[in-house]
Amino acid sequence: MYVYLYDNFLRQQKYLSAIRSMEVKLTDYGIAGKILRLHNYIDAKPIIDDEIKRGAKTIVIVGNDSTLGQVLSRSATCDCIFGFLPIGPNNTIAEVLGIPVGPEACDVLSRRRREKLDVGWVNSRYFVSQLHVLPGKLEVVYDERFKVTANDKMEVVVCNLQPFYWKRDKHDSEQYVVHPQDGKLEAFLRPLTKKGWFGYKYEEPSIFPFEEMMITSREPFTVEADGKITKEVKVKIKLAHNKIDMIVGRDRKF
Amino acid sequence: MIFSKSPKVVLESDEPELASVTSQEMPDEVETVVGPSVNVEGDFASEGNIVVKGSVAGSVYTSKHLSVEIGARIVANVRAGSSTIAGEVKGNIKVKETLELTSTAKVLGDIEAKILTVEPGALIFGKISMPGIDVGEKPGRSGRSSKRAEEIAVIIED
Repeated sequence: MYVYLYDNFLRQQKYLSAIRSMEVKLTDYGIAGKILRLHNYIDAKPIIDDEIKRGAKTIVIVGNDSTLGQVLSRSATCDCIFGFLPIGPNNTIAEVLGIPVGPEACDVLSRRRREKLDVGWVNSRYFVSQLHVLPGKLEVVYDERFKVTANDKMEVVVCNLQPFYWKRDKHDSEQYVVHPQDGKLEAFLRPLTKKGWFGYKYEEPSIFPFEEMMITSREPFTVEADGKITKEVKVKIKLAHNKIDMIVGRDRKF
Repeated sequence: MIFSKSPKVVLESDEPELASVTSQEMPDEVETVVGPSVNVEGDFASEGNIVVKGSVAGSVYTSKHLSVEIGARIVANVRAGSSTIAGEVKGNIKVKETLELTSTAKVLGDIEAKILTVEPGALIFGKISMPGIDVGEKPGRSGRSSKRAEEIAVIIED
């Protein structure tokens, strides 16, 4: 049995036609199922657990990167198969998973090509797409072997599925992309150097693939993982191998 | 008509440029990059290629390629599959295959490599040993290395 978790933003008028055609396609394939609508403050895990008890075998997340992150960060340990139907903007993970945005995603879902995905683990919760530590005086220790520091402030972005996009500075018209590799988490460190009286300038990023890393600082720093923002002084990030059973497309990037 | 044409041309010319820059900046085989103004301390090891643009202290190990860019500084013993050095290395370098020292390279330490390429202008202070010459003794013994170097010099003169 299929259960579909719709994000709240899909109530908007502009997505109605895409939703309709998607639902028609799902009915044609014979994989239509129960539809549940998520809200901003809903924890998806108890809902999914309830549905699994009622016989659900496949949970399909309908929305964008933040929907996928919001659901999977809580329910990565659930014993079910996950599917994803990307709709609307901010869908970078769909490309990595080889799922086209829009109603064409139903074709991928119906083929049920499954892969076990790795997820990141940060201070007792999971993250799927990306973890972002805002600039601060940070110290990063990789795999308990070597330490990385910067002369001044430093920003850290840890990518699992989501590619890392960066620009040299605010006015840079060129955007650079680095795609994460499978089997490891990828950390992008961008030191900031003083420019003028008040401004800071981003340096070229450093890239470190890792399985375990620890970020510490004397002052609390802001951590954003799958849309959830917290303040921490010590963060331990690990890679949990083969945690999520997910339906992916043929054109996936891993 | 003029206004409708010009943005089209800009878009067409922009996209391939961006793609080419991106692929140049971050090639797929590059796995670990130590950027400028980043300091690494400890046993820095990687299974993939390493590009050093900042400073590293401790030890560096990779089974693949190590690239030390201009302005980079390594104060460590280095072991790599192959290497290109354009920066400064203070420590012994042991490379399995090819070691390339560019004109800006500065090496203070012993070098051991199968194939060594040195561009004019590169600075080296240390012993160089290369596997392939059979002198009856195993390389790498610290007490006998100077004696062995003398023997190699005699063989070359002969």
